[in-house]
Amino acid sequence: MKRLEALTVLNDVFGSDPLVITCGASAREMASIARKKTHLPLLDSMGLTTSIGLGIALGHSGRVGVIDGDGSLLMGFSILATLKAYAPKNLIVVVLDNGQHASADQMLSQASVVDIAGAAKGLGLWVAECENASDMKKHIEARSHADSVSMIFVKIEHGNTANIPFYLADPAKLSSDFVESFSS
Amino acid sequence: MKEANSRLSALVDGLTDWGIEYFVYVPSSHSAPVIRKLDALGVPNVMANREEEAVGIAGGLTLTGKKVAMILQDNGFGNALTALATFAQSYHTGFPIFANTRGGLGEYNSMIHSISESAPDLLKKLNIRVEELGISDSPEVWRSSSNAVAKLAVIQRRPIVMMFESLHPGMETIK
Repeated sequence: MKRLEALTVLNDVFGSDPLVITCGASAREMASIARKKTHLPLLDSMGLTTSIGLGIALGHSGRVGVIDGDGSLLMGFSILATLKAYAPKNLIVVVLDNGQHASADQMLSQASVVDIAGAAKGLGLWVAECENASDMKKHIEARSHADSVSMIFVKIEHGNTANIPFYLADPAKLSSDFVESFSS
Repeated sequence: MKEANSRLSALVDGLTDWGIEYFVYVPSSHSAPVIRKLDALGVPNVMANREEEAVGIAGGLTLTGKKVAMILQDNGFGNALTALATFAQSYHTGFPIFANTRGGLGEYNSMIHSISESAPDLLKKLNIRVEELGISDSPEVWRSSSNAVAKLAVIQRRPIVMMFESLHPGMETIK
């Protein structure tokens, strides 16, 4: 599965729920699919995506989604222990794992040689692993009324979608739109 | 377990006057009395493992409309700088950050000043406002200033740092 296909499904399945999207190609490709006030794309802040999602999930009563990448998750890997410690049941973290830093000249990430899903399992987190869109969607829907935080690791193909323009949004506007979405 | 002295208690009072709803912290012996007192008052909290993680969690909570404070020690700002600049500042997440200072009079650690002394300048270079509370300020000033910093951070939609001077609990008994 290509990232663009995964993002198309994630945009659909999370609907109007808050969705934090990691930086680089993920944010750009999602913006090419949809721009919603409930989306919080990060324009930098690599390694922070799941931390921000945890904060939002603790402050919000409804379902919250996070789209992280293997490289970004590895950059802030300590968040996994914090996720387990606080385990908000309304948070679903989807890790799109291509085993590379696709936005950094496609250098291989350490996820290409270590089992990051296994590490999450080892911390006691609820983890699912899948490789296609229908299984990913099934897991998200099944975990929408779960009793703890969910982590879904999805294998995707290497590389980025061609001809996606840079995403030049104003982060302050993205933020104010996102905040507004909670009251609408 | 170290109890809060009158100034640290006043800092907590300033935050409860504000209506604090959550706090995110990185453990510190100097800040422990503040953390423990807020926890004892029933304020929900998250312990983060790293300072940038704390910035992400506190910023996320702020986006949901919660009144959130972050508590850490000033030698952790090196870890937090990129998160503060690219997320908290850029995405206009307004929350106060309370940081106990290290490396000053009464310090027992021989090297911690190497980052702590520069922390205010590093933050100011990022256009993050830094306020200070010292042991020569009265408890009343600690209470009103911590309250004012929290309010200003929310109004201005940006993180604001309050550096507070606090001797190590073990050193406060040395004559």
